Amino acid sequence: MLLRMYRFLLRFEESLLVIILLCTIIFAVAQIFLRNFFHSGIPWGDSLVRIMVLWLGLIGAMIASRNHRHIKIDIISRHLTPPNQIRLRRFTDIITSAVCLVVAWYAYVFVRIEYQDGMIAFENVPVWVTEVIIPLAFFTMAVRYLISALLPDSMQSD
Amino acid sequence: MEIALIILVLVLLAFAGTPLFVIITAAAILGFYYNGIDLSVITIEIYRITSTPLLLALPLFTFAGYLLSESNTSKRLVHLSRSLLGWLPAEMVAVTLFACALFTAFTGATGVTIVALGALLYPALKQVGYSDRFSLGLVTSAGSLGLLLPPSLPLILYVVVAQQLNLGESISITDAFIAGILPTLLMLFLLGIWSLWVSRKAVIPLTPFDGKTAWAALKEAKWELPLPLFVLGGIYGGLFAVSEAAAMTALYVLLIEVFVYKEIRLRDLPRIMSESMTVVGGILLILGVSLAFTNFLIDIEIPLKLFEWTQAQITSKYTFLALLNIILLILGAFLDIFSALVIMVPLILPVAIGYGINPIHLGIIFLANMQLGYLTPPVGINLFIASYRFNRPIEDIYQASLPFLLVLLVAVLIITYLPLLYY
Repeated sequence: MLLRMYRFLLRFEESLLVIILLCTIIFAVAQIFLRNFFHSGIPWGDSLVRIMVLWLGLIGAMIASRNHRHIKIDIISRHLTPPNQIRLRRFTDIITSAVCLVVAWYAYVFVRIEYQDGMIAFENVPVWVTEVIIPLAFFTMAVRYLISALLPDSMQSD
Repeated sequence: MEIALIILVLVLLAFAGTPLFVIITAAAILGFYYNGIDLSVITIEIYRITSTPLLLALPLFTFAGYLLSESNTSKRLVHLSRSLLGWLPAEMVAVTLFACALFTAFTGATGVTIVALGALLYPALKQVGYSDRFSLGLVTSAGSLGLLLPPSLPLILYVVVAQQLNLGESISITDAFIAGILPTLLMLFLLGIWSLWVSRKAVIPLTPFDGKTAWAALKEAKWELPLPLFVLGGIYGGLFAVSEAAAMTALYVLLIEVFVYKEIRLRDLPRIMSESMTVVGGILLILGVSLAFTNFLIDIEIPLKLFEWTQAQITSKYTFLALLNIILLILGAFLDIFSALVIMVPLILPVAIGYGINPIHLGIIFLANMQLGYLTPPVGINLFIASYRFNRPIEDIYQASLPFLLVLLVAVLIITYLPLLYY
């Protein structure tokens, strides 16, 4: 049951990414044609595209945290024995998780204030909706790195 | 004292393999915390990603690049260059340099060039009579070319970071794209001359130009041929902005690779999308948190202090440039190009402008040095990719690529000290 829910979440993450990427491409191209051939354009189109870039980046970052694909300098661990490599990585995973959690918390507080302010990003989409991905992404990364730190040795992978 | 200790701990954590975005975020959190600034400012800074229209180019060009490297574009590119350049002396060298530079520019300098093109070029070089060591070195170092050619992602990212600094000098992406062309040609030229000199005794048969083969190769690649035109014509001709060129490129590449060449199956698309966006996410995240960290540094006037300190120590522009070269070379050997850009440019650019260095010129110097970093032992990333790809011990790769590294170093020095290349 739990596993099925987790799989669903993974699927959902990827589907969201695919949809947003396709929308970004189509929207951006549509804007070019509308502007050049019809001298018009969707007024909120550019804002939407820029917000979708943020979402693409943060969902990509969430997916990167599934298997340690974030950019890092790796000069100590290659000189260690495999068991020590895993120990070192548990330690850096805990740090990563803690830092992400701090960001997620303050982002959550910030988004809540924005929700109360009720500012509008474009059309009738409130600003807080466009920002909600920030706490969500950092929280997801915090959870993933925490899980990775706690997994037994046998389940540790690259 | 306390600050020194914090910096030391963060550097150690970075070396231990903590993701770089975490190191930068931790530094920003500590900095804001000690200065009594509310930490929600980090969220605001990350959200600033949405106020940079140029950034749209990043995911779109990356996606297009991934599509190109997943299909047989590399084969067609090598085939086409061979059939067009085959009559030249040292044609395989020319083909290697040309194809690698073009492929890297379009696939965003993320190391795919050696993987995608190396497997075709390395055996081909040996087959026409070049020594194993020469071939290995040439392919490894050519994999770093093209970083300065449009639409390379590091170049775009440099302009994004520089524009965020509001330094009062206008920094346009078009200027950066134009500025990168001559330095790249210089690198190609020097590597070409060096290759001719080294292999002067090798017997390399010439293939006469064959119109039929060339025509067939052209026809084979006809759908991909307009790509450089899109980007170059679109941008230089002022038809559309860089981000729009990226959108057109992404859509066009998607359509031709999936529906015309049929080399990418529809059901592979989600995987390719998610892989390419993982790379984009890694870069954007570092950019986002670096915006926050840079803001903190500016708050406590670090760039200003750094500027005053350097001005007091170094009076000559050329001494500064020499120092810059050394620092960037060391940095390039440890940091990947994207992290180096977002972390170091906010610190270095204001100082450089104080010495009368043009921001675009600085960008070219920065990236050219970083390009050398790809090949600098012990940790240059291209060395590892080549070692992995050609299944050779890393020491072999060090040896083979060292002469090429030195040739590129000469090119980088010329690029640094002769600014007349840019205007």
